[in-house]
Amino acid sequence: MALLDIKNLNLAMRSYEGETQILHGIDLKIERGEIWGMVGETGSGKSLTGLSVSRLIASPPGRYLAGSIEFQGRDVLKATDKEMRMLRGRHIGMIFQDPTTNLNPAFRIGTQLVDVALHAGHADPSVLGLGAGASRGDFKKAAKRVAVEMLEKVGIPKAADRIDDYPHQFSGGMRQRVLIAMAMIGKPDLLIADEPTTALDVSVQAQILRLIHDLVAERNIGVLLITHNLGIVAQICSHVAVMFRGRILEAGKVNDVLKRPSHSYTQALLNSVPTVHTKRGELMGLSGAMRETSA
Amino acid sequence: MLLYILRRLVLLVPILLGLTLLLFIVARILPGDPVGLAAGPNATPELIAQMKREFGLDQPLPLQYWNYLTGLVSGDWGMSVFTRRPVFADILEYLPATIELVFASLFIAVVVGIPLGLLTAVYKNGPLDYATRTVALGGIAMPRFFLGLLLQMAFAAWLDILPLSGRYPLIESPPDHVTGLYTIDALIAGDWSAFQIALSHLALPAIAMALSPLATIMRMMRSSTIEVLQQDYVMTERALGLSNRLILFKYVLKNAMTSTLTVIGLYVSWLLGGTVLVETVFDWPGLGLYATQAILTQDFMPVIGVTLVIAIIYLVAMLVVDLLYGVFNPKVRYA
Amino acid sequence: MTMTPIAIPKRTQSARLENWSRAFYRFRQSWLSIVGLAIVVLLVVIAIFAPWIVPYPEHVVGGTNTGARFQPPSANAWFGTNALGQDMFSLVLVGSQVSLFSGLAVVFIAIVVGTAVGAIAGYFGGWVDEVLMRITDLLLTIPSLILAMAVAAALGTGVWNMIIAISITWWPAYARLVRGEVIVKKEEQFVVAAHALGANWLRILGKHILPNIVSPIVIKASLDMGFAILTVASLGFVGIGVKPPTPEWGTLLSGARSYMPDYWWTAVAPGIAIFLAVLAFNLLGDGLRDVLDPKARR
Repeated sequence: MALLDIKNLNLAMRSYEGETQILHGIDLKIERGEIWGMVGETGSGKSLTGLSVSRLIASPPGRYLAGSIEFQGRDVLKATDKEMRMLRGRHIGMIFQDPTTNLNPAFRIGTQLVDVALHAGHADPSVLGLGAGASRGDFKKAAKRVAVEMLEKVGIPKAADRIDDYPHQFSGGMRQRVLIAMAMIGKPDLLIADEPTTALDVSVQAQILRLIHDLVAERNIGVLLITHNLGIVAQICSHVAVMFRGRILEAGKVNDVLKRPSHSYTQALLNSVPTVHTKRGELMGLSGAMRETSA
Repeated sequence: MLLYILRRLVLLVPILLGLTLLLFIVARILPGDPVGLAAGPNATPELIAQMKREFGLDQPLPLQYWNYLTGLVSGDWGMSVFTRRPVFADILEYLPATIELVFASLFIAVVVGIPLGLLTAVYKNGPLDYATRTVALGGIAMPRFFLGLLLQMAFAAWLDILPLSGRYPLIESPPDHVTGLYTIDALIAGDWSAFQIALSHLALPAIAMALSPLATIMRMMRSSTIEVLQQDYVMTERALGLSNRLILFKYVLKNAMTSTLTVIGLYVSWLLGGTVLVETVFDWPGLGLYATQAILTQDFMPVIGVTLVIAIIYLVAMLVVDLLYGVFNPKVRYA
Repeated sequence: MTMTPIAIPKRTQSARLENWSRAFYRFRQSWLSIVGLAIVVLLVVIAIFAPWIVPYPEHVVGGTNTGARFQPPSANAWFGTNALGQDMFSLVLVGSQVSLFSGLAVVFIAIVVGTAVGAIAGYFGGWVDEVLMRITDLLLTIPSLILAMAVAAALGTGVWNMIIAISITWWPAYARLVRGEVIVKKEEQFVVAAHALGANWLRILGKHILPNIVSPIVIKASLDMGFAILTVASLGFVGIGVKPPTPEWGTLLSGARSYMPDYWWTAVAPGIAIFLAVLAFNLLGDGLRDVLDPKARR
């Protein structure tokens, strides 16, 4: 049984112009210990695939036409709202793009971490190191302790003091560390990271990627890393799926796909990455015609 | 923080000085003959002159203002020509009734308006949303005094379940004076029946005053909640499994409160001014009724006194609102 | 390089006309604004033609008919009759004149005075700004209804005295608004350019700045109209302002108080009239705001 098994996922979204099909039969299988990179241009359906796994697309406007998303053998598309909530935070962690807008500005980071820890703890007390009969007070104390530990783990200096600070007192990179701590505090089995480094400085990007990589290695969890940056995929992913217009064009081990791309679109995507060796005039853009024919 | 409050309080002094000067000038420039009115149509010129001396109205204006100012500080707010009592004593007597009415209506408006605004934002375009928005549109346009009359007609005359007017039955004595707010005093005294009597008198005027601020607070809360619900952090909170109730009543509420707070602050002044109307409808013995009687008899010392008290309450309320901003928005720093 | 002539696309409408039709389209989108507009138009028509359409013109000028006191609403007197036997329908119709006229006058005076003060304070800054704005702030701390009542009482009865009294308390809000807008516009390129061309301050303010801040003023004015009518009625209700026999909604309502609840119709007719007028102007104002300031749309 795979950790995550997406089979023939078809999603349509309704807008003022009518219903448009966004995902055309996505198939993806993620095992523990694998870091899957999902690449593709804006609007190719990467983010909606990620959100679908946690069933965070409201319906309406979203509607699943066919397919299933099996997480640890259970189809999340058929789960009740309550079952879904028990999965979120505890079994599936999520990180989003912009660390400046994804932390609630009106609350101390400690408050936000503790609430997520408490939620995960209610789903499974062992996350907080507690037994089934623990009291409310025990839960609160344990959640606070775990929050500080988690902040230390993601590299926030003097975590015990900074836990009472507000988000605006942290830098962008530090905020993303806090968000990673929030996503990982429930000891999830699957982490979905949607462009986690796009909004950060290049120097900070590498640190955040290393942090994600180390946490995954330590806990042996599966990761779905959504990005449009092939460099990131080459650096930390074990597998890659290339998305285009709601379809996965090719998927497999990073080395196979990036070294020997079987699809012309992947080749074009690779050619559009500038490197230090790229000579003037060699850098390729994706032309409209290219995009039409590959579809 | 304490320093900030102190500085704000010190800054009130020049504002209040300017206010007294302005009111004093307005009162003296305007035509009108309070002494003549008070003395009656048959008063002799000697009597009028004597009364003018009595009230200090024969002195030059700057001296009158100076006397008034020094008087203010020592608690001598002038005499009311109409009640023939010191204005300060009158105001002390009528102030608690107005405070009770204003706070009761503000309480209703906030306690009903904020949750309704939250819920209508969540169930946007549902039946509850349409119903409350329609009522809110009407509520803002409804004159307080007309609503008061309608409430009297419905609950006092036809249904006969609430008293028509007044603050407490004349034949009975109100609860022992501690705060002057009858409902609070009754609770302090542990007198349940007195509390019920006081509350039944308070209900209609408080509702008549509360409807318009309630509607505005609800509308403001609805629109700011809709805005907050679209923020990224709400998606993160949902993605990490927090319950809808926790997200709405803890994380969204606090963010949506900031802009609503401004509206609440502005309504303090509106409510204080509106006592003039609602207290007239319900014969509520407060500052509004006192001011109305004083204005109708062109008795200016009470009007200046009441205006000053209301301005002070308003300025303090604005200070409280500014401090509350800091509670809801941690980025606000007091320096 | 060769020059190719650029064909300018022909317009079927002028740009200004197109703006107007687009604005009207946005306005039509909200049926509530249309309802508001319809009631406002109806009110204006009634106010203008009231003297000719009322069934009992003699009651409007003080005539009484004590034989027909407190008649409930009927085919003869749609809204019943009052303590003097006067037809409430006639009184309420003619009452629209005072309400609409004074509401309009108050808003107009407040705009003129407030714009002048705000524009001068915002344009010149410095001590002029300081003095004018301190006075404005002082007036804003006083509850406007009480101040208006005091001034109106001191000036004595009469429509104009009441209008002046209310205007005194209303202009500061416009002064604040205009000052803020002027300070923003003062820094814009076209003003700097006009300055460089040697235009004097009156020309810059009048020709370049004020025409560009009309929208926020119109929005505030249309939302304020309803509240001006409400304030006029409030003064009438506490017994200040217009005196009988001139019919005025607030005064009519106040007169009906003593006969509640038995003769309820004497209160309900003028009360609903005030309510409808205020509601209509609020709806119209909301609609205009959507048209003139689409960003504020919720």
